[in-house]
Amino acid sequence: MRRLLVLLSAVAMFATAQGVMASAAGALKMVDIDSSEQARQRGAEIVVGTCMMCHSLKYIKFADLKEIGMKEEQITALLEDQDIDDRMLSLTPIEIRKESYGKVPPDLSLMAVARQKGPQHIYTLLTDYYYKSAEQEETDNHLFPGIKMPDVLAYADAESDDERAEIEAQAHDVASFLVWASDPSAESRRTIGKYVILYLIILTTLLYLLKRRVWSKLH
Amino acid sequence: MIKKVFAWVDERFPLDEMIKHELTEYPVPRNLNYMWSFGFLAMFILIVQLVSGIFLAMHYKADVGMAFDSIQHIMREVNYGWLIRYLHSTGASAFFALIFIHIGRTLYYGSYRRPRELLWWTGLLLLLLLMATAFMGYLLPWGQMSFWGAQVITALFGVTPFIGESVVIWLRGDFVVGDATLTRFFALHYLFPFIICVAVAIHLVALHWVKSSNPSGITLHAKDNIPFHPYFTVKDLFGLGVFLIIFFGFVFFAPEFWIMPENNVPADPMVTPPHIVPEWYFLPFYAILRSIPDPLGGVVAMAMSILIFLAMPWLDRSNVPGGAKFRPGYRIMVYVWFVDLMVLGYVGAQAPEGIFVLLGRIATFVYFGLFLLLPFISKREERRSRVQGLPREAERLIREEQEELLRSEHYLRRENDEKELKNIRKRLEDES
Ligand code: HEC
Repeated sequence: MRRLLVLLSAVAMFATAQGVMASAAGALKMVDIDSSEQARQRGAEIVVGTCMMCHSLKYIKFADLKEIGMKEEQITALLEDQDIDDRMLSLTPIEIRKESYGKVPPDLSLMAVARQKGPQHIYTLLTDYYYKSAEQEETDNHLFPGIKMPDVLAYADAESDDERAEIEAQAHDVASFLVWASDPSAESRRTIGKYVILYLIILTTLLYLLKRRVWSKLH
Repeated sequence: MIKKVFAWVDERFPLDEMIKHELTEYPVPRNLNYMWSFGFLAMFILIVQLVSGIFLAMHYKADVGMAFDSIQHIMREVNYGWLIRYLHSTGASAFFALIFIHIGRTLYYGSYRRPRELLWWTGLLLLLLLMATAFMGYLLPWGQMSFWGAQVITALFGVTPFIGESVVIWLRGDFVVGDATLTRFFALHYLFPFIICVAVAIHLVALHWVKSSNPSGITLHAKDNIPFHPYFTVKDLFGLGVFLIIFFGFVFFAPEFWIMPENNVPADPMVTPPHIVPEWYFLPFYAILRSIPDPLGGVVAMAMSILIFLAMPWLDRSNVPGGAKFRPGYRIMVYVWFVDLMVLGYVGAQAPEGIFVLLGRIATFVYFGLFLLLPFISKREERRSRVQGLPREAERLIREEQEELLRSEHYLRRENDEKELKNIRKRLEDES
């Protein structure tokens, strides 16, 4: 009974925490985001080439892209005026960005963890644009109605399923890259974690056996 | 050589004496279950928080312009900074989880009862200190939820009659939460753990004076007490191993589980988040706060929701020994209360609309209702068990204890130890 109670409380605690997290997530497209280096590299190229017109990724340096397997030449090919050791800041002056969109576009380095179900949020956002009317003048976004960001991947313009699939693949790669950017140490964290947990399981088993032995002296 | 060193020390410091008294000869009831490991685990996590916190402070900048960036500096540029930070952020949640279970155990097994009232009260003081420390620590990353949480909670003090406004300004050091607030919260967040350490020391001194309670709730016969070392050191270490597997599971594989996405957005006083939710460990109390329509009433209810525990030794008027195990009425109450707390936690996480308002009010009513009912239930329960008799196991334990007390009374009379004799007689009187 006691154990059941503990278990129950733990489950309820998790449920509460999960409830907090899930409550704001709306109609997201629940794609799986793959974390291969290729996807991340393609994502990095789109982010530098497109998104950085408006957005910065101030916690990342270009040189850090080596961590997702990019070669020095690949990185330098992405640079304009910047140095490889510079932070990934948008080259468009901040006043211009602010003036054009009414607000400074948010930094993207933490975007994948700054929204409920961040990776899916990014993916959905980029592929949720549509034309408000048949005249095809103004776009809007299902996930974020009234968003000040234009349809940068031109999803609303896509005319065939193939085109849409291509943009969806791009959105996926962008999300994959931004997941890495939000926590570059995640990979090594999980690798170390496996050893730590394995070690602890062995240690705890030994402690359990030791405990049994020590206690067996009691009658 | 080692022997010589110890001998040298022992001549000048009661080291050997202390080890004997607190460890190798410290008597612990042998029937303790794993619920009794949580105090030790909480102490362990306190040390984790202290150590990781000190290392974080070496790299953290308590300045509104730099705080958020300095966390990312720790995460990305400091060697193993991510580990230090995730240990600390996961540690905070783990601390509350352990303390809640520890308190739940105390309630279930009636460990707050005579003679452990001071132990109980210092424990509650520790809970309050822990809450204050966690609340101030949560401002430091300077994310959206840090800022707005602090804004909302400090504003609560505005309900203080007459001087409300000044109190709020005094707390914040400014009209709104800002740089002054951040620096003072940092200073206090660094200070409080040391106060906690002192309170823990007092808590432990009180514990070692009255000794551990046990699942039966009845003081055990001397033969049923075993030394802390090696029996409970090894048992607690095994418990620690199990805990660490779960704890490090979160640290290494799901650290973001404990960090709200909103808090990965830098604080912006101009943008209010759609709903402001405190950390999970404050949710039940937050729900109580919001369930009372009147602001002053809400704050008072929230404060009372914890302070009322201080009165447990008086509210529980039963003389039936033991915890919930031998007390069916009390046992049901404790279960209802646990469930109610979960409901409150769930309600606290929701926007205060529709059904949740009603649910919150009912749960708040039940919460306080249980405390108010306790004196009556415990008295009735006592009367009933006088008529029906206690379970055989309880009878046996009590008989054994009385026999032992009588034996020691006999012994003390011979020794002429008046003071101790008085104690024993008092205990005998209570038990009958
Ligand atoms: C033409 C400028 C521009 C470009 C290019 C651009 N964005 Fe944005 N982005 C904005 C603006 C402006 C906002 C703020 C929208 C708002 O709050 O209404 C924004 C907001 C966002 C948000 C936050 C949405 C939210 O939920 O608050 C994300 C995510 C985002 N952009 C991703 C991207 C990605 C990924 C790219 C590249 C594929 C990109 N943006 C390219 C201007 C741009």
